[in-house]
Amino acid sequence: MADMILDNMYLILLIPFWIFLIIMLGRFFSVYVNKIVIYTLTLFASLSGALLSGLALFYNNNLILETQMPFIKINDFIISAGLHVDKTSLVFAFVLFVISFLIQIFSISYMKNEKKTYRFYALLNLFNFAMCGLFFSPNLFEAYVFWEIVGVVSYLLIGFEYFKKEKSIAAKKVFIINRIGDTALIGAIILCSYLMYSNSDNWGLTTLSFVDMNIISTLINAYASTPLFWGICLLFIAAAAVKSAQFPFYTWLQDAMEAKLPVSALLHSATMVVSGVFLIIRLYPMFSLDNGLLQLIAVLGLLTAFVCSVSACAQNHPKKVLAYSTSAQIGLMFFALGMGNIKAAIIFFIAHALIKSMLFLTLPKEGEKFDLVNFVLFLIGGLSLSGIIFSGMVAKEFMYLDLSLTLKVLFCLISFMTAFYIIRIALLLGVNKDKKIPFVPVILTVLNIVFYFIVRKLVKYEVSEPFWAALTAWICVYVLYIKDAFWKVPVLYPLAYNGFYLDKFYTQTMSTIYAKIADFSNLIDTKFFGNYNLLINSAKCGVKVSDWVENNVMNGAVRLTTGIAKMFSKLYLVAQNGNIQRYNAYAFIIITVIISCLIIGYVWLYLRYIGG
Amino acid sequence: MQEITIYNYLFLGLLLFVIGIVGSILSKHVIKVLISIEFILTGVNINFITFATFCDSVSFDGYLFTLFYVGIGAVELAVALYIFYLMYNKKQSENIENYGDL
Amino acid sequence: MNGIDTPIVFYPLCALTILFAVAAISFRNIFHSLLSAIMVFFLVGVLFYVLGSEYNAVIQIAVYGLAVPVILGLAIMFTNLKKDENKASSKLTFATLFTGGLFAIAVLSIIRFALGEVDFYGVNPISAMSAFGSGIFIKYVWAFELMSLILTIIVVGLSLFKKEGRCRK
Repeated sequence: MADMILDNMYLILLIPFWIFLIIMLGRFFSVYVNKIVIYTLTLFASLSGALLSGLALFYNNNLILETQMPFIKINDFIISAGLHVDKTSLVFAFVLFVISFLIQIFSISYMKNEKKTYRFYALLNLFNFAMCGLFFSPNLFEAYVFWEIVGVVSYLLIGFEYFKKEKSIAAKKVFIINRIGDTALIGAIILCSYLMYSNSDNWGLTTLSFVDMNIISTLINAYASTPLFWGICLLFIAAAAVKSAQFPFYTWLQDAMEAKLPVSALLHSATMVVSGVFLIIRLYPMFSLDNGLLQLIAVLGLLTAFVCSVSACAQNHPKKVLAYSTSAQIGLMFFALGMGNIKAAIIFFIAHALIKSMLFLTLPKEGEKFDLVNFVLFLIGGLSLSGIIFSGMVAKEFMYLDLSLTLKVLFCLISFMTAFYIIRIALLLGVNKDKKIPFVPVILTVLNIVFYFIVRKLVKYEVSEPFWAALTAWICVYVLYIKDAFWKVPVLYPLAYNGFYLDKFYTQTMSTIYAKIADFSNLIDTKFFGNYNLLINSAKCGVKVSDWVENNVMNGAVRLTTGIAKMFSKLYLVAQNGNIQRYNAYAFIIITVIISCLIIGYVWLYLRYIGG
Repeated sequence: MQEITIYNYLFLGLLLFVIGIVGSILSKHVIKVLISIEFILTGVNINFITFATFCDSVSFDGYLFTLFYVGIGAVELAVALYIFYLMYNKKQSENIENYGDL
Repeated sequence: MNGIDTPIVFYPLCALTILFAVAAISFRNIFHSLLSAIMVFFLVGVLFYVLGSEYNAVIQIAVYGLAVPVILGLAIMFTNLKKDENKASSKLTFATLFTGGLFAIAVLSIIRFALGEVDFYGVNPISAMSAFGSGIFIKYVWAFELMSLILTIIVVGLSLFKKEGRCRK
């Protein structure tokens, strides 16, 4: 059983892709019109993926499975495509498929009245395929390919309602900001590969496969000078930061909230945004060579967590609050990674994925209030996320262990703010008395609790300051909410409301820089290239001279030239009569003449120098 | 009579080639031009097969290229005939001199 | 070489091929020239057999001897048969024939010169056949597939063009 599953792991990658093709092409060629077929296919895809990865996780004990086939082959240099199955990738894939499955169930009822939903489900399957490919890719090259596909799918899903202008603009913006990260990633890959290529004799290492990451990073550190090594690592961190919406780049996540609710729940909170975390885990051997890099990651994560938490406190739109919250929580994951606590990061990733997708799915529609059950679930999720109950608590406590005092204070502050903004937005939206029981959020909450009981045995933790900080926040928020105190903070509120003006900063600085460049080039154009005064003055003198010359000398020459040209054109007209056969004949004659001349010349030379 | 050597076959191929070229230049009927072009291809094919037979006893690439040539020739003929069909509908003439305007 | 490329087989074959080829381009009636072209293709097919390449002979006869003339005949049938074709100008005729002769002589001399010292092998038919198979399915498999793809594209493209033409009318 175990062997059978591990031998057929490639199915986990291929089934979503097949289903994507079947849905897309089948619908395109009108093979089927029935929606139920699409639902069955897509649910089957994600369920089978979840089963496969779950069973593999169950049977696989620290085994690293590599199946590869050559993909790009240049003599000995082989970039292979295949699967690299280990525990990390299996965990990520399992979470991906479970959440994907539940969200697809949710979107069947949610997207009932939409048009062209087949595209939506096909894209969700393509997303599963791309993420899975990223998680299972054996080397950085393949990872880059899937990294790009993930970006494209995100673009397509945000722009699902492309006919609405603001959505297509948001999709474009998200895609463009993501391109920065993609460019950084490919730049880093090329640098690494080039270093290995020019210094190492071992061609196998040049492909930057993840199995040999330890050796590769040591070698790169040895070959590259320190600034270059830092540059490579910074490029990798930038790539991860963009995809995971970290500090200087987190603005795209707010625009990504233009997408449909299930898309936000799946891509922009639970799974897609953690691909940066995954990249850092995969490249951990490289970062761990230099302590400064790890500290950088930690500082970046903590800064993001802090800034985004403050911003989230001031937002009025629930989706934007959750988006900022996502950035902040992933910042915490980065922080844990930077502190060397990979296990905590992964546990927090799972907890966060379960909680955050649940929070998204419980959100009411635009301008409406919470249903009662949804409200309760939202509060449970909020409590869990801020670290008071269930899996969120375990993860946060686990991250909280072994920190220095300053970091502990900051961590508690972030915990406090998490609790604050969650309950604030819950109270802001309000409740109505509708007691409809939502299926999927309940399942996610149950999973959350189950995960809590699993992790509780694995990880030692103690209830400590973050717990109390969050609990304080839940009490504080009543006071602040009722008294409207936060609104009156003069500087902080507008700062937080506008996301620390980072977005405005981008648009304004970029546009000013562009305007400056444009002005400058305009200046050069008018002052140097466009300055005709000198030319005109000198030309005026020239005109008088040339006038004389023209009348006396040129006219005669012109007449002569035209006469000759006319003569030639008559000859030419005979040749160029548009008859293809004529042209053929000319070509044939000319070729024959050339060959004959060559032969005659050759024979002449032969006779003169050798034969004669 | 002397034995048949490679030269005889090559000469035959060459003659067919030249006949094809001369025919394609001189004949005025479009179909005739096409037939002449097929002669050219046939001449080339004879060369291929001759060389494959006489000089290459290992891989016989010439046979394969002849096969490809036949396929390409058929394709070319199909396209040419379709062009002819269109031009004939337009001009009501099969004389190639009337097809001069580009 | 099957052992049947004796002068008694070869020279008549050669003479007939050339004769029919010349006839094909010099007949006034297009149908007559088509018939002689068919003869030329058949004779070349026989020549391929004599040279030892049975497979090519079959293909030559099937494609050029049968399929192509049928299409050409169909094309001829919907044109106006009665109209007499006007001849090419005598200057061009002379120039082309002269150049053709010159070309033939030149190439022949090149062949003579180039192949003077080459050793020739005989053909083992069985190895030729296996080489053929391996060539199609291993060595030139992409070229082979590409050719089939081109054929398919042509068929699809022509049918599409035809549809479009109908729409325009």
